[in-house]
Amino acid sequence: MLEAIRDRVRRHSGVVRWTLLGIAALSVTAFLVAQRQSADVTYGQSPPTATITEGSAGELSDATLPSVEDMRARVDADPVVRLPGSIATWDEQAVRAAMGAKEVRIIVAPPGLSKDQQKQVREVDNATIRVMGTEVTGGLYQSSSSLLTEWRAQFARNDVTAQLIGLINGLNKTEVAAPPADGLWREPTAAELGTVTDALRAGGQYTDPAVGLPAVSPKRLTEAFGTADALVVALPAQPRDTPAPDYGPALAKAFPDKPLVLMVGDWIEYHGPHEADFADVAASGFYARFDERLSTYAYPAENVLGAYLGWVADVRYSGLFDRPLPYRPADPLRVALPVLPWLFAACVVGFLLLSAASAGPARGRATAPGLSARLAALSSLAVEVSGLTGAATDPDLTRAITRLGAARAAIGNGLPDAQIRGLLDDAERDLDRVGRAVGVRGYRPADYLRGPLA
Amino acid sequence: MGWLIGAIVLVVAGFAAAYVPRVRTTARQRAAAWADARAAIAVAGVSRDAARERVAAAEELLGRAESIAAGQGGAGAAREAARCARAADRLWQDTGRA
Repeated sequence: MLEAIRDRVRRHSGVVRWTLLGIAALSVTAFLVAQRQSADVTYGQSPPTATITEGSAGELSDATLPSVEDMRARVDADPVVRLPGSIATWDEQAVRAAMGAKEVRIIVAPPGLSKDQQKQVREVDNATIRVMGTEVTGGLYQSSSSLLTEWRAQFARNDVTAQLIGLINGLNKTEVAAPPADGLWREPTAAELGTVTDALRAGGQYTDPAVGLPAVSPKRLTEAFGTADALVVALPAQPRDTPAPDYGPALAKAFPDKPLVLMVGDWIEYHGPHEADFADVAASGFYARFDERLSTYAYPAENVLGAYLGWVADVRYSGLFDRPLPYRPADPLRVALPVLPWLFAACVVGFLLLSAASAGPARGRATAPGLSARLAALSSLAVEVSGLTGAATDPDLTRAITRLGAARAAIGNGLPDAQIRGLLDDAERDLDRVGRAVGVRGYRPADYLRGPLA
Repeated sequence: MGWLIGAIVLVVAGFAAAYVPRVRTTARQRAAAWADARAAIAVAGVSRDAARERVAAAEELLGRAESIAAGQGGAGAAREAARCARAADRLWQDTGRA
């Protein structure tokens, strides 16, 4: 069996060697070409870019301001001046307690003022504290929320109590604790909840008539949550002084396995899968980044939600939570690459073996057996006939013997058969001449070779 | 690195596989040609010794063949030596018969 295979390989050695060479060349080429593919893993390819450009996002309201002198006069007359369109509210008792004996004058402006209008408000220099939208500034300070509950109060209920008390503390160097910022929330009634859940079951989105939010495109939802099956609830900002329905937990219970975005005013919270890991991170990142603009300006709900969804997608793509990225089929070339060096090595070894077989040490070449027998017979004839020769035939006999000697040496040295045959032919011709001259029957080579030795 | 070594081994093996048999064939042809030439010279020597008279042309040819053989050389030189020796042999044999 092995012998047969070896024979076959030897017979087709050329073809096999070229095949091996071709495979080796192919594997080298594939290896080199594959070097161009680099590992393509990046966390920087989140599709949306959550940026808001000045003025173009509808953040300016069309509020108008009185003249600076007018505002100054009103602040002189009244410690708290609310300009038309202003939205900020606060717990007056708590703020007054924080002020203590010091006089603090507050001017409250509407959100969405242009840069020039904001400058006008800042020119009212007899006001200690300025509230624009829900942004609270005063003196050198700007007061921002630092807790999610404070942001929730600020954006869902326009409640700036915590910020005001913080700023007053800063201005007066006092340490008055703000009351818990998380206003008054209550369970929604069954009727309220029913309205919302019915709308969500029907269309996946509930928008309060007071909020101008068009249907959110499934593409945005898919980018943010990996599924278009996310629910959106949009409600207007709730008044500060009456308990407001808190839909979040109730809706999360009603739709436990769907991502839910609950928007109250400018406050957006997440409920649904991975809520414990995800909701706080998404909200704190979003409001830490957009706090200032959301509080100062009056963005349409659509833009606020769009920025939030972009932010969620950023967080999800950042790989913070081991969330699997979309499935990518294995690249067959990449999978096959590790075999290339071995294939190449095998081809090299095979090629080497076959080359060694053809270039290796020469095997002793056997002379055709008939030639050795013929040499022996002619030598024997030469010896026999040598006793009968005379002066006329001696040269031919000597020549024949010389040629036979050369033929013997050629056989010993493994020279080509054709050459040995030529020498033997010449010797035979010489002996034939001798035999004819001697005249004894049977001593001509043709007869002798057919004789007793044959 | 492995790729480089493998490629070098491939080239060397391919070169050897083509070159070694060629060298071997040449050497064998050369050895055969010289064996032939030596046989022819020896035979011519026999004919010279058997000749009844000297043949200047034949002696010159044999001398040339022997000097070529003494200088060694390739297969071409061997063939030339064999040709000269045969010609000389023929001249001496013709003289012997005449």
